[in-house]
Amino acid sequence: MPMTFDYEKCDGCGKCSALCPGDVIYMRGERGKKLPYNRYVDECWHCGSCRQDCPKAAIRVAFPPDMLCI
Amino acid sequence: MGIRDKDPIRMKTDVLIIGGGLAGTNAAMGAAEAGASVVVMDKGKIERSGDVGGGVDHFMAYLETGPDWDTRDAFLGYVEKVGRGTNHISNIESLVCDELPAAIERMARIGNPLTQPDGTYYRTASMGQPGPYWINFNGKLLKPRLAKAVRRLGCKVLSRVMTVDLLLDDGHVAGAVGFHVHTGRFFVIESKATVIATGNTNRIFENPRGNPFNTWLCPYNTGDGQVMALRAGAALANMEYMRLTMMPKGFAAPGFNALTGMGGRFMNSLGEYYMEKAHPLGNRAPRYACVLHSQEEIRAGRGPIFIDCRGLSDKDLDHLETTLGYDKDTLPDYLAQRGEDLRKHPVEIMVSEGMQGGPSECNGSGIKIDGNAAATVPGLFAAGDSADHNRCVHGAVTGGYRAGKSAARRAKALNRAPEEAIGITRERMERFMAPLHRGSGYPYQQIEDTIRKVMSEHVGMARTDLGLRTGLLKLARIEPHLDDIKVNDLHELMRARETRSILTVGKLMASAALFRTESRNKPYHYRLDYPETDDANWSGLVVVRQQGDGFDCALERVAYRSPQEA
Repeated sequence: MPMTFDYEKCDGCGKCSALCPGDVIYMRGERGKKLPYNRYVDECWHCGSCRQDCPKAAIRVAFPPDMLCI
Repeated sequence: MGIRDKDPIRMKTDVLIIGGGLAGTNAAMGAAEAGASVVVMDKGKIERSGDVGGGVDHFMAYLETGPDWDTRDAFLGYVEKVGRGTNHISNIESLVCDELPAAIERMARIGNPLTQPDGTYYRTASMGQPGPYWINFNGKLLKPRLAKAVRRLGCKVLSRVMTVDLLLDDGHVAGAVGFHVHTGRFFVIESKATVIATGNTNRIFENPRGNPFNTWLCPYNTGDGQVMALRAGAALANMEYMRLTMMPKGFAAPGFNALTGMGGRFMNSLGEYYMEKAHPLGNRAPRYACVLHSQEEIRAGRGPIFIDCRGLSDKDLDHLETTLGYDKDTLPDYLAQRGEDLRKHPVEIMVSEGMQGGPSECNGSGIKIDGNAAATVPGLFAAGDSADHNRCVHGAVTGGYRAGKSAARRAKALNRAPEEAIGITRERMERFMAPLHRGSGYPYQQIEDTIRKVMSEHVGMARTDLGLRTGLLKLARIEPHLDDIKVNDLHELMRARETRSILTVGKLMASAALFRTESRNKPYHYRLDYPETDDANWSGLVVVRQQGDGFDCALERVAYRSPQEA
C-alpha cells in the first residue's frame, strides 16, 4: 500500500489521478462519487506528488514491509 | 474497443518536445521564447512528471564570486576530471556554461529561485568538487512552476501521450506519432524540429530491493527516446556506462548527496570510515569512487554499511532535516517509519540498482549531441539525461533551454515544407496495439524480469569479453519473445512498449561495453579482463549506430588534458 487515501477527507476531485507520473492512481465509483485508488500498486515511485498537491490533505504514505524491513 | 476505427489526431507545429520533465519544459520555454509554436508530449502530466516531479534540492553551478574554484575555468577543470575522457569540454561550455547565467535568472523568473528565503545561496561540496558547487534549494514546486510558465507561453501540452516513434521525411526527423494511454487514440504531430528529452533508462538491471520500480531515477524513464533516435539513424554515445549510486537501505531515494556534502561519513560494520582510507577526497570523493569502495566493503564481508551523521553540528542537522524532503518528498516519512534518526545513530545505506545514465555528474549517455544540442540526424535535438553531453539538474535546465532555442532556429530556417500526410500507416498502429489483441501470451513483467536477470549477470558491475558475449546472446534469445507479450489494458500496453526499449538499450550497453577493452570510471565500466584505464588508446566516446540488425561501434577521441587517477 504505497499511497493511502482518507475517504472521509477526499472529495473525489481527481487531481492525484490526473498528475500521477506513473499512471498508478485511478478513480472508481458511481458518477459524481468517484474516489481514487491504486490500480497498479507495485508501480508507485513514492514521489509524493499526489500527497503534495492534494487540496484536502487526504493522502498519506505507508511504505510496504519489503522496503521497511530489509 | 473501437480505437481502430478512429483516425489519428493530426497536428502541425514548429517544434515538438518529446518528454516534459525538467529538460523538456526548459526546452519548451527556449523554443517558445524564440518565437516558435511548440507541442509538448508526455506520458504523464508535465506538472509532476520526470525525475524531479516530486521535487529536487540541488543544482550544480559556479557563481563567479571571487575564489579560484568559483570560476568557469575551475568548473570545466572539474568536469574534465570527473568525466575522464568521456566528454568534449567545448560542448559543456556551450550547453552549460554559456546558458548558466540565464538559467539561474530563469529559475527566479518562474518563481523558484535557487536562493534561500534570505536571498543567499546555501552551497555544499561533494563528489570530488574543488569547491561547493551544489546549490541547495527548495525545488518541491519546481515542476508545477515550470509547467505554468510553459502553458503561459502558449505551448500545447499533450498529457498521457506516449511517443511511439519518430516520423521521417527524406532522412529528416519530421515529427512523431503518439498514443494516448487512456483513450488509445493516436496522434500524428508534424514538426520542423523535434527535441527528445525522455530521460535515462531505468528498470534495466535487477533491483537489490526486489521491486523493479523502486529506482533512484524515475522508473517510467525507460530509454524510449534513445531507441527512437537510434532507429531514425542518430548516433548514441557513452552507452557502456552502468551508473550506480548510494542510497538508504530499502528505498531508492536520492537526497543522500546532501549527507556527504555536509560531512556525513561512510562507515562499515567494523565501525571503520572506509572512504577516508580509500580515497584522498574521503567521503567527498566522486560518486563512482564511493560506489566502488562501498561495493568492496560489502564483497569483503564488512557490510552492512552506513552513513554516519552524528558528527554534524546541530545547525547542519537542522538544515538537513528541513531539506531532505526537498529531493524526495517521502524520504523523511521513510526514515521515520523505519525508525531511523540521523542524530542518534548511523543510517544503513546500500549500492543502488544499475541504470543507463552516463559516466559522471557532468555528462551522460544517450543521443549524441553537439554544442547546440543537435543530434546527428537533421531535425533532431536532445537534452537532459537522454543526451550524451547533458546530465543532472543543472544540465537539464541549461541544455534543455539550449535545445529548445536551437530547434526554434532550425524551424525558422527550414524552407522545405514536410510532405502531406507523412508517416503512420494503419498497419503500424495495429502492430503497436497487437499485445492488446493477442489471445494468449506472457505478461510484460515476465519478459522484463528476464532482461534484468541477464543484464545483471553479464552486463553489470564486473564485465568480461565472454560474459558480455553471453549476455548479448541471451538478449537476442529474449527478443523474439517481445512479440509474445500479452497485455490487458492500455496502461500495460505502455509498459510493454517500455519493455521493448529496455531490451534495446540493454543490447546497446552490452555492445559498447564489449567494444571498450579497458576500464573507465570504475565500476561504471569495469572490465575484469582489462582492469586498467588506458588513456593512450581509449580516451573518448564510444559512438554507436544502428547497422542492419546490429550496431556499429567506433571510438571518437577526446582531447583529455589532465589524466588523474581517482
